[in-house]
Amino acid sequence: MTDETLARLQFATTAGFHWLFVMLTLGLAPLIAVTHTRHALRGSPLTERMTRFWGQIYVVNYVLGIVTGLVMEFQFGLAWSGLSEYAGNVFGAPLALETIVAFFAESTFLGMWIFGWGRLPKAVHVTLIWLVTLTAYASAYWIMVANGFLQHPVGHEVRDGVARLTDFGAMLTNPNAINALVHAASAALMTGGVFMAGVSSYHFLKRTAERAFFRASLRLGLFVATPAAFVALYYGFVQIPTLVETQPMKAATLRGHVDDIGSLRVEDVQAQLVQRFGAGDYRPPAWIATAFDVMQDVGYLILLLIIVALILLYRDWYLRFRPAAYLMLVAVPLPFVAALGGWLLREVGRQPWAVYGELTTAAARSHVGSMLASLVLFGSVFLALAIADWALIIRYARRGPADTDLGGSPPDGHAERPAASLAL
Amino acid sequence: MTLELVWPALLGLLLAGYFVLAGLDYGVQMLAPTLGRDDGERRSLLNAFGPFFLGNEVWLVAAAGVLFGAFPFLEGRLLSGMYFLFAAILAGIVVGNAAVQVRSRHRSASARRIWDGLIFVGGLVPAAGWGLVTGRLLAGVPLDARNAFSLGPADLLDPFVLLCGATTTAVFLAHGASFLAWRTGGEPSARAARAARRALLVAAVAAAAVLVAGYLSPARHTVVNSWPALATGAALVIALLAGAALLGAGRGGRAFAATSCAAALPVVALGAGLHPFVLVSSGAPGTGLRLTEAMADAATLRILVGFAAVMVPLMLLAQAWNWWLFRHRAGRTPTYL
Ligand code: HDD
Ligand code: HEM
Ligand code: HEM
Repeated sequence: MTDETLARLQFATTAGFHWLFVMLTLGLAPLIAVTHTRHALRGSPLTERMTRFWGQIYVVNYVLGIVTGLVMEFQFGLAWSGLSEYAGNVFGAPLALETIVAFFAESTFLGMWIFGWGRLPKAVHVTLIWLVTLTAYASAYWIMVANGFLQHPVGHEVRDGVARLTDFGAMLTNPNAINALVHAASAALMTGGVFMAGVSSYHFLKRTAERAFFRASLRLGLFVATPAAFVALYYGFVQIPTLVETQPMKAATLRGHVDDIGSLRVEDVQAQLVQRFGAGDYRPPAWIATAFDVMQDVGYLILLLIIVALILLYRDWYLRFRPAAYLMLVAVPLPFVAALGGWLLREVGRQPWAVYGELTTAAARSHVGSMLASLVLFGSVFLALAIADWALIIRYARRGPADTDLGGSPPDGHAERPAASLAL
Repeated sequence: MTLELVWPALLGLLLAGYFVLAGLDYGVQMLAPTLGRDDGERRSLLNAFGPFFLGNEVWLVAAAGVLFGAFPFLEGRLLSGMYFLFAAILAGIVVGNAAVQVRSRHRSASARRIWDGLIFVGGLVPAAGWGLVTGRLLAGVPLDARNAFSLGPADLLDPFVLLCGATTTAVFLAHGASFLAWRTGGEPSARAARAARRALLVAAVAAAAVLVAGYLSPARHTVVNSWPALATGAALVIALLAGAALLGAGRGGRAFAATSCAAALPVVALGAGLHPFVLVSSGAPGTGLRLTEAMADAATLRILVGFAAVMVPLMLLAQAWNWWLFRHRAGRTPTYL
């Protein structure tokens, strides 16, 4: 394998892990903010326990979101220094803004939320989780602006071989970024909802004592997942015309897999690109069409499952009809599969370009020695940590709300609540 | 014109904030597994930085963002040039950061011992790594005609650079220990104070050795402003000794202030020693990549400055609010971490 392939594999591994965790972060945060708000308004113990239970899972999931994100941030400079040489004036700005506008607040406020149980006034504590949610989505916006520029570079001109920012507004409203953001964010919300419904179904199947708790969680999950799924599917289709216009090659590769591709054909586009950019192979691997099929089919399947579950909510049929609960449990990993398909389509489909039509991936690469060692290092560290983290999530999910650390008394038998123990 | 000052100042602020705040994390991480006698004690030591932990680490993320946004022509060269050093630092942070957060989510003692080991490694690797980065930048890097470079292992096996690595390790260790002495109470606090005094003396010796090695080695010729660099090094030694004296006098809060200054000084040394360069050549002293060449276009910087003017004060306010809310000392009872 060439160093370029290894570098791409390293980025894809990091981004793939990052996304698997970030997706659930984005999906669960608003749900937790809603239950926390309900608790603050009405003070019912049920909503407090819901906030703590789902909050615990959220916090454990967040750990890997942070550490993989940290590596993502440095990947650009480490392995793709050609990108900053060429597009640093333009591409760096949204990334810088993401960190100072969004991450800084998100991390600070999340730490305060975790440790603030029983310590902070209710209104302040609830505000914190809303700020965390808001900044998570703000970070998604900025990163999609950066990614949108790679997909469809707008708002700049090239002078002396270096891209220079001319129209920041065009960058911020890049259709390729906005549509993708709405699509991916609603997919994430759907993921959060399906996750909640799936874990709740597990407890119905096990007939645990927490019926009221998981009935409320199931309803919340489904009520959010359903509209989110429709938006995700709708914005999936909205992206096709943008693709035809801005990335004809990617669109042409999908010929026969989706309508609206028009007259685009891979061979024709290849010939046009050769005419424009000189000899070369401008075709992405053909399997990205399979990635697209996986995403689309799994997307329909999820929608079908949610709608059936929604109907069964009538008179609590759902709680008695065990096959439904089994199906919802099996559905939990599906959104992750669909979303990875989507990203493979988006990122691999962009090849051989790092900045579409302007900078090839080969030219964007840093010239460092063998990438193999660092790929193995990051790959194995992420894999081990991800497995440990998922095992913890599964354990918390199975044990149910009685066994939550977040905001409760410490598990070692110390009776004090954090409030009593922190203030000395 | 002012932009040329704003961005280096902001980058310096973020980096210094990172060294001070994450530096104390790394110090506590190196200490907690051995300083805590039992599981409960280890947990209460970690809980001393608990509410701040996520907010501390994010200073690095912000510094990296500003580096990319405002200094794109430094970012790629610097990170890819020191590829394996940065990869090791990142891997260390990844492991340590995750270990701190999930350690107490496991109920079994043996699982917690494994995470404790990783917490230690995750403190040591970045603590030493940032010293190596600082030392190598001060002593210059093998720049080529395009101002790019690529370090080999031999570039790190330089006495000056290695001593810098030892110094930051000892400084962060002492800083974390003085934080624990100040923030916890009872017997663990007294133990932390003793550890801090020992670490401060070691750090002072290491810092003094850096000054001597810097004078004797070729680094003397590469540092652009040798007097400011030397003064910063001397200030470091003084801050460390002051910290030890204050701890001896039982002034925990002030000792922590002294070690905080000490933790920030390596960043000051870089700025003071290299200005107006950001990378200097080890082969041809006096040449290198200038600050002005490293920065983004004025058009980009103007846009960024608008956001930064609003966001940076808010950021600092949020962090200050966090420290104010959790200003009370951590008790003996473990909480979340
Ligand atoms: C659509 C959403 C999305 C996408 C595409 C990305 N991220 Fe992300 N990232 C998030 C959404 C997010 C998130 C939801 O805001 C975080 C916060 C913690 C988490 O679990 O995910 C996150 C965490 C996170 C962190 C840790 C922040 C902290 O310390 O709190 C960093 C440094 C990055 N990301 C960087 C990146 C980079 C460089 C990306 C470029 C490819 C990227 N992320 C893609
Ligand atoms: C978080 C979700 C993401 C996933 C799962 C993902 C997936 C991938 C994959 C699979 C590749 C490898 C493509 C190949 O080698 O053929 C890749 C490369 C890349 N992606 Fe992403 N990506 C994500 C987000 C982003 C974002 C938001 C950005 C920009 C801000 C981005 C920028 C890049 C760059 C610079 C490369 C390397 C150069 C290249 O191959 O073009 N990615 N990504
Ligand atoms: C009918 C169903 C769907 C269609 C037609 C569709 C369409 C698309 C298209 C065309 C892209 C590529 C955009 C680009 O490369 O610029 C894409 C990307 C993506 N899709 Fe889908 N999608 C569907 C369902 C889903 C579902 C159910 C999920 C997740 C649960 C999902 C997650 C993603 C993600 C994460 C991306 C990458 C980011 C983005 O470009 O928005 N998609 N989708």
